[in-house]
Amino acid sequence: MLTRVLDWLDSRTGYRAGLSHLLDEPLPPGTGWAFTTGSVISLLLGIQFLSGVVLAMYYVPSPALAYDSVQYIMRGLPMGWMVRGLHVWGSSFIVVATAVHMGRVFAFGSYKAPREVTWLTGLVSFLFILAFSLSGYLLPWDQKAYWATTVTINVAKGTPLIGDFVANVMRGGPELGALTLGRWYVAHVFALPAVLITFVVAHLVLMRRHGISGPIKPGVGAPTAFFPWHVMKDTVVMAVVFASLITLTLLVRAPLDEVANPADADYIPRPEWYFLSLFQLLKYFPGPLEPVATQLIPGAAVGFLALLPFLDAHPERRPWARVRVPYTIGMLVLAAGVTGLTVLGLKDHPEGKKADDWGLLPIAGLELATGEASACTRCHVTGGPAAPLSATGLRRDEEWLLNHMIDPVAIAPGVRTAEDRAPRSAMGRFGAQAVVAYLRRSHAGIPPPELSPSLKLAAYTYASACVNCHRISGEGGTVGPDLTTIGQRRDQAGIRAVIENPAAVYGQSRMPPFKDRLTGAQIEALAEYLAGRK
Amino acid sequence: MRIIQGVHATMGATIAFILGNAVLAPSLAKRESNWLSAGDSGALKDGEPLTVTLRVARQDGATEAVDRRVVFLVRSGDQVKALDSTCTHLGCRTRYNADAKHIECPCHGGVYDLEGRVVSGPPPSPLIELPTRIDGTRVLVQV
Repeated sequence: MLTRVLDWLDSRTGYRAGLSHLLDEPLPPGTGWAFTTGSVISLLLGIQFLSGVVLAMYYVPSPALAYDSVQYIMRGLPMGWMVRGLHVWGSSFIVVATAVHMGRVFAFGSYKAPREVTWLTGLVSFLFILAFSLSGYLLPWDQKAYWATTVTINVAKGTPLIGDFVANVMRGGPELGALTLGRWYVAHVFALPAVLITFVVAHLVLMRRHGISGPIKPGVGAPTAFFPWHVMKDTVVMAVVFASLITLTLLVRAPLDEVANPADADYIPRPEWYFLSLFQLLKYFPGPLEPVATQLIPGAAVGFLALLPFLDAHPERRPWARVRVPYTIGMLVLAAGVTGLTVLGLKDHPEGKKADDWGLLPIAGLELATGEASACTRCHVTGGPAAPLSATGLRRDEEWLLNHMIDPVAIAPGVRTAEDRAPRSAMGRFGAQAVVAYLRRSHAGIPPPELSPSLKLAAYTYASACVNCHRISGEGGTVGPDLTTIGQRRDQAGIRAVIENPAAVYGQSRMPPFKDRLTGAQIEALAEYLAGRK
Repeated sequence: MRIIQGVHATMGATIAFILGNAVLAPSLAKRESNWLSAGDSGALKDGEPLTVTLRVARQDGATEAVDRRVVFLVRSGDQVKALDSTCTHLGCRTRYNADAKHIECPCHGGVYDLEGRVVSGPPPSPLIELPTRIDGTRVLVQV
């Protein structure tokens, strides 16, 4: 029955001839494992397309909801974290696979006549793949997204003459915001896929038109068919890459920072590893020389790659042959430059706010918001006037959140009942700051540290007495010294001595003595916690 | 030959399992049920349904949504009945007609009595009754 249906379909479409045209491609004898790199890229592109479609089903391209929707994919949606993991790690895999493929093509001299245009379509596809990566990581609207994109756009702004115009086009206006996210989203999910598919199809059609180049030293014997012997090799390599991608996805969660916060001065933006070489290059060309790093050197590298098949036109294919040596050196310099700068960039890692460091303020906030005496759960309960805290987003700005917590009624109408005349203040300003700090951590999915009674006491004490002047892990005042790594400088006894009476330690200090303002237990809890911060 | 097919099928099945789960899981999710306070039982009069709107805040994908469920509370003696106001025909919102003393649907003319039974029109079954309990003087309805 099935055969008859397929026979009928073949008589109307001729699909069997098409299929055998695809599978029976004659390959030069001796075509080996090196020629499986292209299939790996096809596999990875396929996974990106499919996982991207599923992500787009849940992602919302607006600054108000983008972060929450990614958070929902990671934590609320069954298997969502795997879908995003495949997409995020898959993008790195593609960059590596494409670089390996280009290296293979160069080493075998495969771009030589008549395959120059095949090389060019491949090079353009590679640049579009990089554009995919760049546009993709703005979309989660987390700290990394916001700041890496700010930097990218400012790099484009450095273009001579038209820089401001280019930057405004990329942003959709003078500020980074909803309009930026909209156009980067459309680029990522509509425009770039359309162009990339076009170039990849052209690449494959040209590959079939000229046949594959085969080994440098032609093998002996008749051409072999693509199917099944080469397909077997392709399948083995694809399976290995696929298994690695699945393993990485299972072992390492795709990262997501805290929600984008344009006011945060403690965040140090870092690009993805595949742009780290460009990022590092910028450091060597300060001020007016910057376009050398942002335009000239990358432009020269792309220009060199584009011209390769025309410069390296001699039919000789061995990369060590005298006519090819200059180009081989050029490629090695390019590869070594990118690798070296990437390694330098990885090493040169400034100490910023550690993503999983809770500090003390968020711990105080955790207790205030979820502890037994919580004022939040008066309303934020299932069936109450507001959704439970676990279901609320962090869509409002800091000022709104602070005001809402200090006086919930003033900013969320309908909460006050007829019997309540006076506003019921939920907490003071520092309490509110603590809860905002807690919500940022918890909404980023960062698990809280284990809460011992001493840690809770230290957190409360810090939030009520120290936060005004001292900063820990990005939160708190800047009047006094930052205490993020105070444990490196003082031990527990030394810290206790300073808290009790700073003047006795320093001779003179603007910090008041806390010996009589705090209890012995409070001072001890603080000293113990701070001594552990190294 | 078999091996090639097997490996490709395994890769395809893995991807299909991951993506299929992410696509279908929300479609298979069940509604959560909650006991919500629907007001004071003292305010209810025999034979006169009270229309109350219950607010249920819930997570809706990445956002939070507040569902409004309109319920008729009908008292008879010590018993309080809660009828879901959704017409069992095609899901329109029914309303209480105080003059005729029955519940009617504006869409296709379905009419229910105060017990929720179909009096006339196309509805295939009575209005859905929601579980209720009385806690002191408060009426709690499970939605």
